[in-house]
Amino acid sequence: MNIRRIWTLIKTEILHGSKDVTLIMAVVVPVLLALFANLAFGNIFTDRGKLGIYDAGNSQLPVVIGTTESIIVKHYETEIDLKKAAGNGAVDMGIVLPADFDTTLAAGTVKLTAYIWGESLAKNRAIIPVALADAMRELTGAEVPVNIETVALGDESNLPWSSRLLPLTVLLAVFFGGLMIPASSLIHEKQKRTLEALNVTPATIGDIFWAKGIIGAFLAFIMALITLTISRGFGNAPLALLLVLALGAVMAAEVGLLAGAFIRDMNTLFATWKFGGLLLFGPALVFMFPQIPAWVGYIFPTFYLVKPVMDISVNGLGFGAVAVNTAILAAIVLLIGIFILNIARRLGTQALRLNS
Amino acid sequence: MSTRIIKALLKKDLKLFISDRFYSILTMVGLVFYIGMYFIMPATTDEKLNLAMYAPVMPAAFAQLTASDGAAVELFDTEEALKQSVEAGGYQAGVALPADILDIWEAGGQPTIRVYHNAAAPPEVSDAIITLVKELSYAQTGQVLTYETEEEILGTDLLGSPIPLRDRMRPLLAVFILLTETLSLASLIAIEIEQGTARAILTTPMRVMDLFLAKGILGVGLAMGQAVLFMALVGGFSQQPDAMLLTLFVGSLMVVGIGFLLASLTRDVMAVTGWGVLIMILLVIPGIGNIIPGLLSDWAKVIPSYYLTDTVSRITNYGAGIGDVWLNLVILAGFTVVVFGAGMLALRRRYL
Repeated sequence: MNIRRIWTLIKTEILHGSKDVTLIMAVVVPVLLALFANLAFGNIFTDRGKLGIYDAGNSQLPVVIGTTESIIVKHYETEIDLKKAAGNGAVDMGIVLPADFDTTLAAGTVKLTAYIWGESLAKNRAIIPVALADAMRELTGAEVPVNIETVALGDESNLPWSSRLLPLTVLLAVFFGGLMIPASSLIHEKQKRTLEALNVTPATIGDIFWAKGIIGAFLAFIMALITLTISRGFGNAPLALLLVLALGAVMAAEVGLLAGAFIRDMNTLFATWKFGGLLLFGPALVFMFPQIPAWVGYIFPTFYLVKPVMDISVNGLGFGAVAVNTAILAAIVLLIGIFILNIARRLGTQALRLNS
Repeated sequence: MSTRIIKALLKKDLKLFISDRFYSILTMVGLVFYIGMYFIMPATTDEKLNLAMYAPVMPAAFAQLTASDGAAVELFDTEEALKQSVEAGGYQAGVALPADILDIWEAGGQPTIRVYHNAAAPPEVSDAIITLVKELSYAQTGQVLTYETEEEILGTDLLGSPIPLRDRMRPLLAVFILLTETLSLASLIAIEIEQGTARAILTTPMRVMDLFLAKGILGVGLAMGQAVLFMALVGGFSQQPDAMLLTLFVGSLMVVGIGFLLASLTRDVMAVTGWGVLIMILLVIPGIGNIIPGLLSDWAKVIPSYYLTDTVSRITNYGAGIGDVWLNLVILAGFTVVVFGAGMLALRRRYL
């Protein structure tokens, strides 16, 4: 393995490599699916009311109301910006807090200017003033006259569909780019016989595998990050999530290299993808349909990618809770890696036979 | 210009389009998909909070909630029935008041109010209900907050008649249908160039202008035909049909112009697909702004399709007429002239 040669191969692949439908699909499909899942089932397009605040002074109200989960609070630097935001629907309601808001609130009646977006829903127009009043009461130190007990009804594991689709979205993002890019790139090289040309240079099959694998893994990692950003699924342990995604991206690239090494043409690759897709995306079905026994998921290698992702981004768990599954994922990655290194070494002496 | 030659070319291109399985299937499946997607999306908007309430004794402040614009409150006879309804998903949340609530308040105590919510409901729902219950309790116990708001409604006040999500998506879907034809037209031209038939047919009495005219008519016909069919099926002509037809026509001309330009910049059909999809993504961005109001900044106005989606949105969702959207149409037409001219010029210089 020669790092300089690998870097040269990576640059060549990025600048002059095949940029066909596979690349576009790898980038577009996961983003579209993530957008669709959130569009149809809720995260981005939450019904939560949005309150805009322009604070002419230095009131504590924005801090207090910022802690509520019932509405989204946005801050604006000028009243003009606030009015514009309320005009185009960026917020449902925009309020202007006068410079002496806190002192006036403590002393008597305060007057607020409120800009309301004409298309704001009735429930948001009802909830936002209530949340505002609640925050003002907290500022004045009013004592809550009731105890409120909240009771969740139904199966707590009954996740909303936007969360149930998250595993599929993440797997598609990781595997479409991570698997298809190295695989299709290797197949193109074989079909165009450029692999034979490379064989007369000092670059080894191992270097070529490394270069294509790094590109695939990098793309898979980036696409996974994008889909998770769209789904707002970073949870409470983003670093652990990044580690899991990185391992998943490497696994996808490894599977892609294996596919590229053994598959002869693009048609066969797509046919394999159709069948192999079931093996890769099987765990997504387990999360989508809770009726499927949970143990089924453990059969699939990709389960050890999806489970930690779900635990961190949906269930809000930390690294400790996902450590075992992450370790299994790392072990799988290592095993496939060793297998690929063996193949690369074996093919290194007979690279031309890749075309046969 | 020869009508006979243009007709013959149109016939040939139409046959070519139908025989190209990728684009003809993409067109058909796409159209069905867009129409299906429209009808799958919610036709109504949950404008009110859907609440269940069990109140053996109804405090005056809580009674006011039943008359509120922002909440639809259903009263239940038993707490158990309320729980079952909330669990079944019939209500976003349920509020159960204790029978002795007024007595406890009178004695200076704090009654316990139960808020039930479905486990699968988003957390903001229960949080909103808790805030609401607290505020009603303050009001009931005489702790009135003294603040006044001077309200100004910006834009059309749609209280009571909100625009459903699927109608917000309608402009995006219509524009998507139009944009797909950019790919079809560009690939038709790319095939002609790749196979050398464009040069071959120019040795016949046909002139270059006839070639572009035939391609243009086919492109506009395919794009507009599908967009009109889609809009007709999803109720896009329910308001200002003349304005909508004009907009779709200008939009179709624009996508044909982009198709010419795309074909002139690419080497083969594969490159048309690659670059075409990237251009499509860029042109689709303004449509997303219709679905998520306030998402886009002013920079989105640089993207020409903004004027198409904005016009379609204003006509279908707000009943705007030609008088309201003429500036958008002028900008769109101006861009179309530029892109059409540039595409024709580039194609002519490069290949013909």
